[in-house]
Amino acid sequence: MTDAAPLERIQCQWCQSMNEKTATACRACGAPLDIRNLVSESGWREAPRIRDMTEIHFSASTCQVEGEIVPAAEINLGPGDSIFFEHHVMLWKDVNVPLSVLQLSGGLKRAFAGMPFIISVATGPGRIAFSRDATGELVVLPLHPGMELDVREHAFLLSSHQIGYSFIRVKGLTNILFGGQGMYMDRFVTTSTPGLLILHGYGNVFERRLAAGESIMVEPGAFLYKDSAVTMEVEFQKLSTGFFGGANMALAKMTGPGRIGIQSMYVHHRSE
Amino acid sequence: MFCVNCGNQIRDDQNFCVGCGSPVKRAPASPPVGAIPPATAPQPVTAPPPVTVPPRAAPTAYAAQAPEPAFQPSGGKCSWCGGVIARGQTSCPRCGAALAMPEEISKSGWAQLPGRKDMAKLQFGNSFCQIEGAYVPVADMKLAPEDSVYFTHHVLLWKDPQINIATMSMKGGWKRLFSGLPLIMTQAQGPGHIAFSKDDPGELIPVPLQAGEAIDVREHMFLVATGNVQYDFFNTGIWFTTQNGDDSETHYPIGMLMDRFSAPSAPGLLLLHAGGNIFVRELRAGEAILVKPKALVFKDPSVQMQLHFEHPDAGIFGMWGSWGGRYLWLLLYGPGRVAIQSVFEPVEGEGGRITNSSYATRQQW
Repeated sequence: MTDAAPLERIQCQWCQSMNEKTATACRACGAPLDIRNLVSESGWREAPRIRDMTEIHFSASTCQVEGEIVPAAEINLGPGDSIFFEHHVMLWKDVNVPLSVLQLSGGLKRAFAGMPFIISVATGPGRIAFSRDATGELVVLPLHPGMELDVREHAFLLSSHQIGYSFIRVKGLTNILFGGQGMYMDRFVTTSTPGLLILHGYGNVFERRLAAGESIMVEPGAFLYKDSAVTMEVEFQKLSTGFFGGANMALAKMTGPGRIGIQSMYVHHRSE
Repeated sequence: MFCVNCGNQIRDDQNFCVGCGSPVKRAPASPPVGAIPPATAPQPVTAPPPVTVPPRAAPTAYAAQAPEPAFQPSGGKCSWCGGVIARGQTSCPRCGAALAMPEEISKSGWAQLPGRKDMAKLQFGNSFCQIEGAYVPVADMKLAPEDSVYFTHHVLLWKDPQINIATMSMKGGWKRLFSGLPLIMTQAQGPGHIAFSKDDPGELIPVPLQAGEAIDVREHMFLVATGNVQYDFFNTGIWFTTQNGDDSETHYPIGMLMDRFSAPSAPGLLLLHAGGNIFVRELRAGEAILVKPKALVFKDPSVQMQLHFEHPDAGIFGMWGSWGGRYLWLLLYGPGRVAIQSVFEPVEGEGGRITNSSYATRQQW
């Protein structure tokens, strides 16, 4: 390992980070490096199944992923590092890890489970762990400088402080998804420093890279994330049911260029 | 070098087989930092056989994808329950934990439920229990004529026609009815087969109890127990009240009552079911940890608990009444074991205007 030349590196196929030749899991995203990518013939790639107890490094902190049914992300924050998250995903924490709140304009209008939408911040040093409410997997997305990612609301588990956070309202999907109650998407932007973003997808998560102008129709409830360059429009499909007239079905048309991620199970969580 | 799965030849620099895609197995990796070496029993043996080592958490990985071990088990002591494993056995006969799985504990000290091979077989008395499936595991029991188990009726999956089931009389049952907990315990007497499962993806937790041992379990976690396990419950003493206009409501973050299972004279087996993945840690005397109240699965009776409120540095958001500007935690302190589940519900009334509560500590950041 010590005499490894710079060329003898393996690139993680999931997050493009470089790793030592002997590594069995990517240092930056935890993806196993010793199994081949699982890509279906139609072009969907399975999100890497992170091995139990894999450690992920970001900034001065580490994240250990535990469990395979509803994985928990356990963060060991380095001094000066902080992460932000929605408060309901906390599982346990050390008594002495300080908590504060991210000041967001408009956060009071956006309510979650009867509470205003508040992004909490935990600051190191210390340990804090997170998990979600249903079977699924953790999607670890190290964001390189200059990346911009849109994520389904309430799907993000945590993000490191280097990443800029805002949210945007999706107008077109309003009536379809939540019965007129609106839908937001979280937007994560990096400027010059890389950061770590962890999402929780329900069921299994698949990713596909769309070429410029290439389109795919997706069930809106399955949408998990996309590069902000990918556009999303809702189209109604007329379903003919013979004598009984027809029914409408809405699908989201996603058009490249960029990545799009979907989940195989969609739970309608307590969103308002 | 050849692939152990398909026999294809593999070059030294390949990490997976080009024929079938299986990972290439090389020399075993060094154990993770913090793992307890398998040969070390966490607790000393305190009595001659039969071993009466209390169950202590030093479990192994949940290793659904772990490669088949190519290792000859030499017997020893189970890391989960302390049971004696004979030479040649690959899993603990008392709790089903696999022997050959690498033991894994997270760096912060939480250990996972030990890996269990599908169809792992446990023995209690002259009866057996097989644990089948990985997503929603089933406890499939073969009861000897003299053995019995009890359970709440909604977890029964199937049974042989000749197995007799009867309701169990319970003292104080009316108290449970008040709090909406299952009132009726059902008892099944051998011989015959009977199987149990719950309606949630998660894990089955076998807790063998030695004579004289007890464990406190949060409500709704109980699946089934052997007839010699004694069942009791107590008031948690953990509550808070919220005020909304003229309406005052009392909330119980971990339930009004908690189950206590004990084995007064003879060893018994208790099976719990919890959602998602299960993590266990042992707290030293005086060591404290904050957990979400509904994530608690079980604790040793020696572990004390209380409420803890944290007020973040919230700026203008602290003014928002319905959020309360606080986080609600359960503070647990040792000595003893604590287990949590990775899936949990929010606490009802957490965002309300809290007017009173059981003993709680506060932290303003």
